[in-house]
Amino acid sequence: MQTNLVPVTVLTGFLGAGKTTLLNRILTEDHGRRYAVVINEFGELGVDNDLVVDADEEVFEMNNGCICCTVRGDLIRIVGGLMKRAKKFDGIIIETTGLANPAPVAQTFFVDEGVRAKARLDAIITVVDAKNVLARLTDTEEAAAQIAFADVIVLNKLDLVSENELAAVKARIAEINRFARVITATRSDVPVTDILDIGAFDLARITALDPDFLEVDDHGHSEGVNSVSFEVSRPIDAHKFQQWIGTLLQEKGQDLLRTKGILAYPNEGRRFAFQAVHMIADGDFVGPWPAGSARKSRLVFIGRDLNRPQLRRGFEACQVAA
Amino acid sequence: MSETAAPPSLLETRGITFELDAFIVSAAFDRAGGQAAFGLGDGTVRLARLDAPRTLQVAQAHDGAVLALAADARPHGFVSGGDDGRLVRLDGEGAATEIAGFGGKWVEQVTSFADPKIGLLACAAGKFVHLFDADGEKLKSCEHPSTVTGIAFDGRGKRVAASHYNGATLWFVASKSDAGRRLEWKGSHIGVAMHPAAEAVVTAMQENALHGWRLPDAHDMRMSGYPAKTESLSFTRSGKYLASSGADSIVLWPFFGGGPMGKPPIELAQIEGVLCTRVTCHPVEEVAAAGFADGSVVVAEIPTKRVLRVSPPGRGPVTALAWSGDGGWLAYGTETGFSALVDFNKRG
Repeated sequence: MQTNLVPVTVLTGFLGAGKTTLLNRILTEDHGRRYAVVINEFGELGVDNDLVVDADEEVFEMNNGCICCTVRGDLIRIVGGLMKRAKKFDGIIIETTGLANPAPVAQTFFVDEGVRAKARLDAIITVVDAKNVLARLTDTEEAAAQIAFADVIVLNKLDLVSENELAAVKARIAEINRFARVITATRSDVPVTDILDIGAFDLARITALDPDFLEVDDHGHSEGVNSVSFEVSRPIDAHKFQQWIGTLLQEKGQDLLRTKGILAYPNEGRRFAFQAVHMIADGDFVGPWPAGSARKSRLVFIGRDLNRPQLRRGFEACQVAA
Repeated sequence: MSETAAPPSLLETRGITFELDAFIVSAAFDRAGGQAAFGLGDGTVRLARLDAPRTLQVAQAHDGAVLALAADARPHGFVSGGDDGRLVRLDGEGAATEIAGFGGKWVEQVTSFADPKIGLLACAAGKFVHLFDADGEKLKSCEHPSTVTGIAFDGRGKRVAASHYNGATLWFVASKSDAGRRLEWKGSHIGVAMHPAAEAVVTAMQENALHGWRLPDAHDMRMSGYPAKTESLSFTRSGKYLASSGADSIVLWPFFGGGPMGKPPIELAQIEGVLCTRVTCHPVEEVAAAGFADGSVVVAEIPTKRVLRVSPPGRGPVTALAWSGDGGWLAYGTETGFSALVDFNKRG
């Protein structure tokens, strides 16, 4: 069903990180695909493409009682307008301004029915300047948000850092978001297949909540943006889980940037996949558990000031009685 | 019991149909009543003379998609806006001339007004509404806090309303120093209609509701309960009813006897589970036409609640719908490029 929907890739990253270079690389590479490109009016460089749309990044708050539910009205109009065109394209790439928070862009693709009927969010790609990212992380909030939201992080300008500096940057990125794929690059030279049409928001592909990332470390409260994950072995009571996660997203949704999970329900042969961007959640059954695999439920949170023990206890309490 | 075949639809008995192979964005009739036009996603406008409607003339209006189409303020011809950032005038022969260009900003809204004394054109590009006289000379540009999503003239061409984030703005067309009157309501407003006697301004909102401001006191009116966004709004000629899309029927709010506050809307022509996508009220009678997501088109007489099926389902969601100025013709088009002209004139 998702195949008819136009994939949308969001490119974020600070001014000077190499977003536009990456964009031009995507557009000029010989892949035979046509992209509509939505750029912001403060773009660094020219973009070489037949279909470029100027966007104003007009964010508004939905009147739905959810204070963090911000949406980009300009994107709703642009996606609608692009769908009227007779000359079709294979995907949409949205470049955001350097200081943009990716949440409103992502939420647009969950909230608006008209957009959902035509397009699907494929992935958020964040371009990070290896030389300057640590400084940006201390002087802005948006840098952490862009890393936290990313499905793929292009760690760019490798030639400008030493091995030690690179290791420090990678460690810092992993602290914020250990679930994003990090690809190193020098002049945004990344294989297009690693960043386009990767289905990062496809529920059916939330299978790679890699248990290798599971930490044993369970010490208290962490400041700033980071990521945690949990695994439980007894099946999850669907009702208890929905109550718990619903309340959690309602109360802490502003700080929970992205949440993903794979759940094993009792007497159910299929996996239930779950994801949320702030308070906006989406979930469905996504096919059977692989034969012979342990039916373990996993949950990942990327957010601010995560209370690890509390989240763990909450998730564990959703299991059916032993 | 024997089965009886469904009677032929009006589309079959009185319609002329076209398969145009591109999204039909908008339909319009010229003011003289001699021509119909369809604006397409391939950048063309297709023109049909109503005295010989079977042949369409192709006018190359935009490089990209047509996003808006309206009758010109002159008796003949049309004006169109496109995603090439241009406002274009098409004469009755289909020759295109640019009235104005706005660079990278899409021209998403176009409308016009004409009476014996004045002719006006308006378009929206980005945060601006640009007003022109009938000759295409710029009268003024009105700036708004965010992108303009809808424009509408009042019934006398004195004022123009624009919708945007957090409300709508009313401008006096003739004033050079007008600062605009802001009508505020938090949220994203995605379209606007103006009561023909300027008694109210109504906007459609992102949250599946309408918001209105009674004029002149700007008293707020809230009209909610839609399962989907309202993309299409139209007052009846008398101003007694506001027809709207966004439900599985035509939703008509009464604008008399104290309404719409505290009054339920009338719902006509329900097609269960199928969204109404376009509405347009008849220029003379208390009649509304509506198009649905399954391709159905109906005409409803509001006082009697009588519904006439114009077109059976099929051929894609209705995306364009228009009456001719005398109400003798209805034009409609769908997402898949199907379009039709239906003759409502008395015969013989």
